[in-house]
Amino acid sequence: MPRPSETSQPHLASGCRWSMQGEKRVVLFPEGMIRVQDTGRGILELCDGLRTVQEIVATLAERYNKADPARIREDVLSFLEALQRKRIVDY
Amino acid sequence: MIPNPLALITEITHRCPLHCVYCSNPLQLVATKAELSTGEWVRVFQEASRLGVLHLHLTGGEPAARADLKDLIAGGHQTGLYTNLITSGMGLSEARLASLVQAGLDHIQLSFQDSREGPARWIAGAKGHAYKAVLAQTIRQFPIAFTVNLVVHRQNLDHIEEMIEFIEQLHPERVEIAHTQYYGWALRNRDALLPTPLQLEKCMRAVEAAQQRLAGRMCIDCVVSDYYARYPKACMGGWGRRLMLIDPYGRALPCHAAGVIPGMQFANIRERPLEWIWSESPAFQRFRGEDWMPEPCKSCERRREDFGGCRCQAFLIAGDAGVTDPVCYLSPDHHLIEVARSAAQSEVAPVSWSYRTSKG
Repeated sequence: MPRPSETSQPHLASGCRWSMQGEKRVVLFPEGMIRVQDTGRGILELCDGLRTVQEIVATLAERYNKADPARIREDVLSFLEALQRKRIVDY
Repeated sequence: MIPNPLALITEITHRCPLHCVYCSNPLQLVATKAELSTGEWVRVFQEASRLGVLHLHLTGGEPAARADLKDLIAGGHQTGLYTNLITSGMGLSEARLASLVQAGLDHIQLSFQDSREGPARWIAGAKGHAYKAVLAQTIRQFPIAFTVNLVVHRQNLDHIEEMIEFIEQLHPERVEIAHTQYYGWALRNRDALLPTPLQLEKCMRAVEAAQQRLAGRMCIDCVVSDYYARYPKACMGGWGRRLMLIDPYGRALPCHAAGVIPGMQFANIRERPLEWIWSESPAFQRFRGEDWMPEPCKSCERRREDFGGCRCQAFLIAGDAGVTDPVCYLSPDHHLIEVARSAAQSEVAPVSWSYRTSKG
């Protein structure tokens, strides 16, 4: 599976969903969960299956206006690729 | 402060149309009429959710043997639990699957005995392989997570590659290649099931190659027989630490096999709140933490990683649930594992075995 492209529309994979653990937002998947924090949470919350990678990067660049967009793009792509390998995200 | 449990494993029935020789259910199965009712199960799910549990695993026996499976899934889902059905697929049709998904099923874990019809029937003591293979295609059409579980052992490991290729055609996101664990019926049939060291080595190579080849398509998880490990497994993530199991009769156990340990009293959810059972019942406290540990565990730097291994295995192999798991190479009882392993070295495996039956 290649990395997501600019026009990929990432989303949680089948059977993976958001939930709460106490006050914390978590993603539940078969046999496990991830406590997503900070940047990871920022990325994953934008993965609604509608926004493209390009739009996600633009939104984050605006949110963290001091960060380098190229760096954000790289973070988004490697994060999504790693979660796709775990079959938690599809794009 | 005792952390809350993260997962509740519920054996909703011991009824099963299959008779697998490696079943981890106890030799004495719970009768149908003693099973918890729908209402009792749903109440347990609600208590579990309040206690902080996130994952609900519905298993058996064959959970689909219960006519109220849809209501149980709905009950779990409505409390916010992530619902996982662990099934052989027997008793599931497309219409029934649709109703389970509608009720809130998140994940289905379908077990296969083999890639081939004949050997699968031989292991399960019943027909079903062809039915499951068709059912897998149906499952894949629903928007839920799909895992295939394959139990491996001496009798099927020689064609592990073929079995992985078979599973690949079913398109699950995940496959769990589970080396047989020796409890219940599997312990009774251990001499015919324990793999040879050569089989194990070939298996690990085949799994690694498949993991690389299928990266991004299928996650392959392989749990190796602890009989061949240097250290014991962290059974259930530690006694009374993460998981709780409820048997069909309502008894709460820290581990699937804990019922074999003599002298233990397991509280029943019909009589006690789940929270009390988790935090205060003597059975859950018995091997929690480190105070119970003997040497070599007590001073071992791995004691917080493997928690002394499995208490049930310590009892089943060494006759005492309070000693180090004999699979650990540091255990004074480790020679008992070596004896079992050397029995697996012989060229011809004995293949007369006991099928799982309600007669025990």
